[in-house]
Amino acid sequence: MIRFIARRLLSLALTLLIASVIIFLALEVVPGDPASVMLGVNAQADTVAALKEELGLNVAKPVRYLNWVTGMLTGDFGISYTYRTPVRDMIADRMVISFPLALYALLLSTLIAFPAGIIAATKRGAVADLSVMGTTQLGIAIPNFWFAMILVSLFAIKLQWFSAGGFPGWEAGFGAGIKALTLPAIALALPQASILARVMRSSLLDTLGEDFIRTARAKGLTARQALWHHALRNALIPVLTIIGLQFSFLLAGAIIVENVFYLPGLGRLIFQGITQRDLIVVESVVMLLVFAVVMVTFLVDIAYAAVDPRLRRRM
Amino acid sequence: MRSKRNLIIGAFLCTVFLAAACVSFLWTPYDVTQLNIANKFKPPGYPHMLGTDHFGRDIFSMLMVGARTSIAVALVAVSIGILFGVPLGLFAAANRNTLIDEIIMRGNDLVFAFPALLIAIMITAVFGPGALNAIIAIGIFNIPVFARLSRAAALSLWERDFILSARVSGKSGFRISVEHILPNLLNLLLVQGTIQFSLGVLAEAGLSFVGLGAQPPIPSWGRMLAESQTFFSFASHVVIFPGLAIVLTVLGLNLLGDGLRDYFDPRLRQNMPQKKNQSSVV
Amino acid sequence: MTLLIVSDLQVSIGGVPILRDIDLSVDRGKVLGIVGESGSGKSMTAYSIMRLLPAGSSAAGRIELAGQSLFALTEPQMCEVRGRDIGMIFQEPMTALNPLQSIGDQVAETIKIHTDVTRAEARRITLETLAKVELPPAEFPPSRFPHELSGGQRQRVVIAMAIALRPKLLIADEPTTALDVTTQAQLLKLLKRLVDEDDMGLILISHDLAVVANTADDIAVMRDGVVLDAGSVRRIFTGNRHPYTTELLEASTHVPASNVPIPKVDEAEVKRAVPLLEVRDLVREYKLPRGGLFKPVRYLRAVDEVSFSIHRGENVGLVGESGCGKSTLTRAILGLEPIQGGAVLLDGQSVLHGMERGLDQHRKMQVVFQDPYGSFNPRHTVARLVTEPLYALEVQPDKAQRAAALAEVLERVGLLSSDRDKYIHEFSGGQRQRIAIARALISRPSLIILDEAVSALDVSIRARILDLLVELSSSFDIAYLFISHDLSVVRSVTDRVLVMKNGRIVEQGETEAVFKRPEHPYTRSLIESVPKLSYVV
Repeated sequence: MIRFIARRLLSLALTLLIASVIIFLALEVVPGDPASVMLGVNAQADTVAALKEELGLNVAKPVRYLNWVTGMLTGDFGISYTYRTPVRDMIADRMVISFPLALYALLLSTLIAFPAGIIAATKRGAVADLSVMGTTQLGIAIPNFWFAMILVSLFAIKLQWFSAGGFPGWEAGFGAGIKALTLPAIALALPQASILARVMRSSLLDTLGEDFIRTARAKGLTARQALWHHALRNALIPVLTIIGLQFSFLLAGAIIVENVFYLPGLGRLIFQGITQRDLIVVESVVMLLVFAVVMVTFLVDIAYAAVDPRLRRRM
Repeated sequence: MRSKRNLIIGAFLCTVFLAAACVSFLWTPYDVTQLNIANKFKPPGYPHMLGTDHFGRDIFSMLMVGARTSIAVALVAVSIGILFGVPLGLFAAANRNTLIDEIIMRGNDLVFAFPALLIAIMITAVFGPGALNAIIAIGIFNIPVFARLSRAAALSLWERDFILSARVSGKSGFRISVEHILPNLLNLLLVQGTIQFSLGVLAEAGLSFVGLGAQPPIPSWGRMLAESQTFFSFASHVVIFPGLAIVLTVLGLNLLGDGLRDYFDPRLRQNMPQKKNQSSVV
Repeated sequence: MTLLIVSDLQVSIGGVPILRDIDLSVDRGKVLGIVGESGSGKSMTAYSIMRLLPAGSSAAGRIELAGQSLFALTEPQMCEVRGRDIGMIFQEPMTALNPLQSIGDQVAETIKIHTDVTRAEARRITLETLAKVELPPAEFPPSRFPHELSGGQRQRVVIAMAIALRPKLLIADEPTTALDVTTQAQLLKLLKRLVDEDDMGLILISHDLAVVANTADDIAVMRDGVVLDAGSVRRIFTGNRHPYTTELLEASTHVPASNVPIPKVDEAEVKRAVPLLEVRDLVREYKLPRGGLFKPVRYLRAVDEVSFSIHRGENVGLVGESGCGKSTLTRAILGLEPIQGGAVLLDGQSVLHGMERGLDQHRKMQVVFQDPYGSFNPRHTVARLVTEPLYALEVQPDKAQRAAALAEVLERVGLLSSDRDKYIHEFSGGQRQRIAIARALISRPSLIILDEAVSALDVSIRARILDLLVELSSSFDIAYLFISHDLSVVRSVTDRVLVMKNGRIVEQGETEAVFKRPEHPYTRSLIESVPKLSYVV
């Protein structure tokens, strides 16, 4: 097991390394140097030089890459070209919104999808199954940002249960923070829950057709016992994969949905960075998101091993 | 049969939107480039079937032209995915368990670490926003999807006796891939292509919504939504209809994909014991 | 005392009758064998007794277990009967166990759901039951997972689950079909012992008359959902029997008659001649996953210095149990995989892996595989499928020549030349195997490798395919390398036989001599394990 984790960690580190090179190369081919952009056309040559020095732009590109990577490892993401404040602080401020939002949505999606998928599979062909299949078919087709707009008009403007946007900050209390994130989380969760419910259903149906379910029935288990004791855990394996993949979709989706709710999250930060050509911010946020995605994939792999003894041994 | 019904509804919806996109080249009820502020926020009815937007443009005409963008972006992106992904997958499968296979698959994993939106963000950061960026971003993301799918399916085929027979007859890996493997993947690719197409439509809408996709004056459903966001409270039709257009197109494509899968399934099951295909649902 | 009575059982699925007028009975401590070819309804009979029929099916009639009508029970009551009063074993031991649960837990589950015993008591019974099926806890701790066991061992776990509560009746549906002969012999012995010890009734379902003949007290022969013949083993084998039973018996013991007497070859002349196929010290190794990053790479020798030769027109058998390396050897001979040592010579020329070798070698050596369903590209017509080996000809034949060659081989294997435009799914298993033979034949090879080519076929069809093979061999002067796990088939069609174990050829010689006087202990145990019909016939 330890060897397995070590190997996965090694490949994780390698992925991150290559990703960082790609991100750096992609964003460094941008023409124009940030120092001149920041100071405007009329800036004095020596002021530009001084700023370049301050931002660490004077050194050769490989060295700058190394500085960027080693900086990130020690928690130093550099200094924003636009705001002259440490990128780390900007990210930290925004992260406490985006990550809870993605997790909240993941939780909602799982809580909706599991029962829905299980009911649909056990009542295959019945009204419950057909309605789950119909709803999820529609759920997959609805773009989350449009759904978000409809939620706002319904629950924030008409019914006034929630505020239409913004974030009071966690200082205002956990409840207030969660309340502000609820509509965005629902908007994000709906399409993902639809996908997950369908995966759960088909995986469960596949598992229910396996020989060992027949064996369990021959032992005297009722259909329900066979489902809970044997089928569910086996059906979970593909579901886990999807949950892992969904996290990255939720993070990316959060970037869009934040726009609808005026949430000051990583998404807004990244768009700000693009419009202001604050590339160091863009670079760092993209890297952070890639890190999160890769990390979740790693956790899913570990979860696999926890569920499946066949994998445990192969490690 | 339910699968038949899926197929029919899906094909119908897809045809409607495809037709709308094609007709828009020749004719739209109103000129979408003509601004008429006096005519703004007309509710649905006569003479504007779906009403007008904040510039007084006819929403129905805009949707027709917007379908063009959606379909073009998604179609080209899926084609990129198939054109690069399938040969990569087949090549990896023909060289299974070698270093080259390992490199291709790890490369795929690497791309999967970048959600399409991140790729789009990076491209936009470098080259500025535009529909082409959306195509490239969604296309790049589609490559590993098709590479994985075709590799997995090809691997199971390579172990089949009929491939062994072909090898005994002295045929090369390339020839076997083209003659035996690829034709047996076509159903699978058609189904997956439809599903990726629908994801492409969604992704294009999302990218345009946040300003990373199609730029004015090219009409796009996503941008129509972004522009009308603030008017929702008093002119809901400007938000409802573009959203419905997206929903119905995506729904149509998904139904078509499901219908096709069910239609092919007896054959797939009989001739190609393919285990559940995960990537099809995300 | 009669334990189980099935009378007038009718089952239909989706309105289509599957079983008609089934009457059976099983006594305590007795074994009832149910025999039939695929689709005869033998498994459905078992599922009817368990009341585990697939959705959409309906059953009528009477099934009584120890005086209790099973059809009168509610589903919850039936759940109590299953596992407690009736145990069941299935064909596929590899998939019959939950891969995520330890074997001990799976056996204990039977005990827990039917009784109120304590955890410790359940564990004690589990260990006892595992020991009873010859999985001693010292060697097979209950914490093992299914993937850590072999097929035979897994089947023992399934048996343990079925008998943990000493049921009155045990149903075994093709319990040994997926297993090797030696394992099969052991398991049949075990089942017989359990029947005697616990005074259970056993229903043993098999397609193999010989398996049933040696174990059962009574036999029922089924075809198309009807019991054709039933009675004691003695009566079935010696007395009056249904013509179909006779047919089955004959097919099972079928020896194809060679229409050309085997010419007595001059030993010395054979030695001088270059053998058609010569395998010399062949080694095929696989790299095993490394134990650790810095541990040395380890290898598994799947084929270990194997040498033998096949002469023109000779039929050579290769027998061995699963995992002995015979499939790997086949692939190495066909040049489908690289070899790590030794040589394969076809007509004196080395067979190399990959594309380097001449097309002529491809032409001379063809293969027929086991699975009649997987051997063909489902998208090609028969014409295209069968003519594929013509690719290996130096001079590509024109359209007319192709058509003529195709028509000829199709006719030779007993198909119509009008079959050329059909697709493979339009044919039955036996017909598909004929098409596979036609494909192997069309390039006029000198050697055809038959890799378990008749193993997936029902006995009656198998007999006809064997006849065809023997006839073709003599008329086209083709040599066969006949690979099979089924010793009786090998015995009936080959001149010489090779016995393989753990990657080595442990014994080779003339088939009759080897079967009559096996020298190697392994060969002896293999031959002894084969269920025999001969003593009863």
